[in-house]
Amino acid sequence: MTWVEFPYVAFSAMACWGGGSLLDVFSGRRRALKVPGILLMLVGTAIMVSFLVVFWAGLDRPPLRTLGETRLWYATLIPVVGFLVEYRWKVGWLKYYCVMLASFFLVINLLYPDVYDRSLMPALQSVWFVPHVVVYLVGYVLLAASSAAAWHNIYRNIRSTATGDEALSHYLALLGFVFLTFGLVFGALWAKEAWGHYWTWDPKETWALIAWLIYLGYMHANSAKVNKKWLQWYLALAFLVLLVSWFGVNYLPSAQNSVHSYQPG
Amino acid sequence: MDKKEVNETGVSWSFRKGFLFSVVLVATGFVVEVAGGAKGVAVPGWPLNGVILVLFAANIVIAALILRDNRFVAWLGGIPLGLCLIITLAVLSFFGGVLPQEPGTGPLWAQKLRLDGVFASWPFALTVFFFLVNMGLSLVWKTVPFKAANLQFVLFHAGFWIALSCGVVGAADLQRVIIPLYEGRSTARGYNSLSNNMVDLPFTLYLQDFEMQEYEPQLALYDSGKDRLEIDESGSTRGITEGMRVAWSGLEVLVEKYLPHAMRDGDGNPVPVDATAGVPYALLSGTADGKFFSGWVSTGSPFEKPAIVQAGNGLLVLVPGSPKKYRSEVTIRSGKGDKGQSEVLEVNKPVSVNGWKLYQMGYDEKSGRWSQLSLVEGVKDPWLPAVYLGFFMIMAGNAIFFWKGIKKM
Repeated sequence: MTWVEFPYVAFSAMACWGGGSLLDVFSGRRRALKVPGILLMLVGTAIMVSFLVVFWAGLDRPPLRTLGETRLWYATLIPVVGFLVEYRWKVGWLKYYCVMLASFFLVINLLYPDVYDRSLMPALQSVWFVPHVVVYLVGYVLLAASSAAAWHNIYRNIRSTATGDEALSHYLALLGFVFLTFGLVFGALWAKEAWGHYWTWDPKETWALIAWLIYLGYMHANSAKVNKKWLQWYLALAFLVLLVSWFGVNYLPSAQNSVHSYQPG
Repeated sequence: MDKKEVNETGVSWSFRKGFLFSVVLVATGFVVEVAGGAKGVAVPGWPLNGVILVLFAANIVIAALILRDNRFVAWLGGIPLGLCLIITLAVLSFFGGVLPQEPGTGPLWAQKLRLDGVFASWPFALTVFFFLVNMGLSLVWKTVPFKAANLQFVLFHAGFWIALSCGVVGAADLQRVIIPLYEGRSTARGYNSLSNNMVDLPFTLYLQDFEMQEYEPQLALYDSGKDRLEIDESGSTRGITEGMRVAWSGLEVLVEKYLPHAMRDGDGNPVPVDATAGVPYALLSGTADGKFFSGWVSTGSPFEKPAIVQAGNGLLVLVPGSPKKYRSEVTIRSGKGDKGQSEVLEVNKPVSVNGWKLYQMGYDEKSGRWSQLSLVEGVKDPWLPAVYLGFFMIMAGNAIFFWKGIKKM
């Protein structure tokens, strides 16, 4: 399977997630809909996982190079976080945000299809390639979920229906921060092997540092016992910085000579 | 006033003071840049940087231990100031992340403030300085007396302190040179692209062979009307193989034969040859607007023109594949009596010699895989072990943080 078959896969996955979410929402009234709803959502994710496996097998290199490829992983993994959170804490609403975010990334890929390219430039042929990118992906997934949880808390605080669930957004941010830190250090160790120095203020590095500092700031604000309601806004908006560091960098004037521009053309 | 209220007032007072302090710090830095002609900060080299760092660390430890109850010192090493400095660093980095970071570029106001080189500017340096003071003080307080519960804090912060401080002062001792190597020749000199100086190296490099592998070439259609190179309809730019069919609108092409390494013989027919001499050739046939065509395409090389085939209004061309691997076989001699050692330099696989690390950097891109020139980069960074110690401490602290976070969840 390649990008040629991708639209079918994307639409099937989104249909499963959407249909499953609807069933799950209505299972409040009819308990019988709960299991089929969850199953349908899992099928949506299973479709994405199978696509990734077959896609990788046909590519001869890990599909982690282009932004379109990382969006595929993102769309696959972020609903998984939603499912795990429901399984662990019985928090059901997070998965709706997660499948919405995942669908958003699939739609971007549908609108801007990637060119199918097998080649992997020599600088990326390293043992660090997979750990560096995967650690970052997991971090981004957790922080996206943290941001979704924070938005939900803000919504609940404004409606003042009930107190928000701040522990959830906090722990997701904490774990996400741990992964960001590993990603940053792995990147530095790899850079030393590939480009001769562990830190060169490449625009992508700079933005990864900014995002890391922002979440480091969150950790300290939390330790300083800053108002929990403000911190939900902080976490909700911090993710925007992460989005810039992820794919906004390529459009900035500073990025002309970035070593992280792996987009074809 | 009950105790809680007093506490909250104290915290917000600390934040306000921290915010004001950060603003003054950055403003001072900008004043220095504007007044001094935006020259940035220069860190002195060894041994002065080592002495300064040891004195700096010693002062922090002494201040932390003696003035622990001093209100100002407590604030200087507290979380509120730390948070303000973290955000200040993020904001300054934001300028560095948006504006091009090459001194002398960008808008004039940015140049005057040295926002075209933020990371070596006074505002950034002053912030990093007090960031290290803040982190250092809190680190001493968490370390003395030591409790096992503080291990994660100590590892993470001490690792960060060591990596940051040694990275900053060690930058003065970092040497990076470009060593151009020509096949069959040796050299013991490198070129420093920043200072424009030639540097004598404590070893000699002799280039035996530069070798490159490329990915399979790709078939493309050149549309002269649009002046554009188009890949086939499916958008799948696959490497070329024998028997493959490629389609563009109104055009169908069959790859009848594919020779990865070929040369034309006396009659002009491509024949397979040795990998080092030949270039890829492909025999194509097909129909364009109902008319049959057939012919050879090739990627060409610095020594021969590429072959192309006219198909309707377009031209079929064979686009050379991108580089897959390139490497230099070198002999390294350190000292006069040394017989030399054969090593292979490859991207992502540097080789160490006499405190230098050698990297495969580039080649003559016009000649591609026929390049006789290999560019090797030599890097000497005596502070690297200290920075790496910091990195590994950060990772150890991070692992504990992860474990504690998971357990609490």
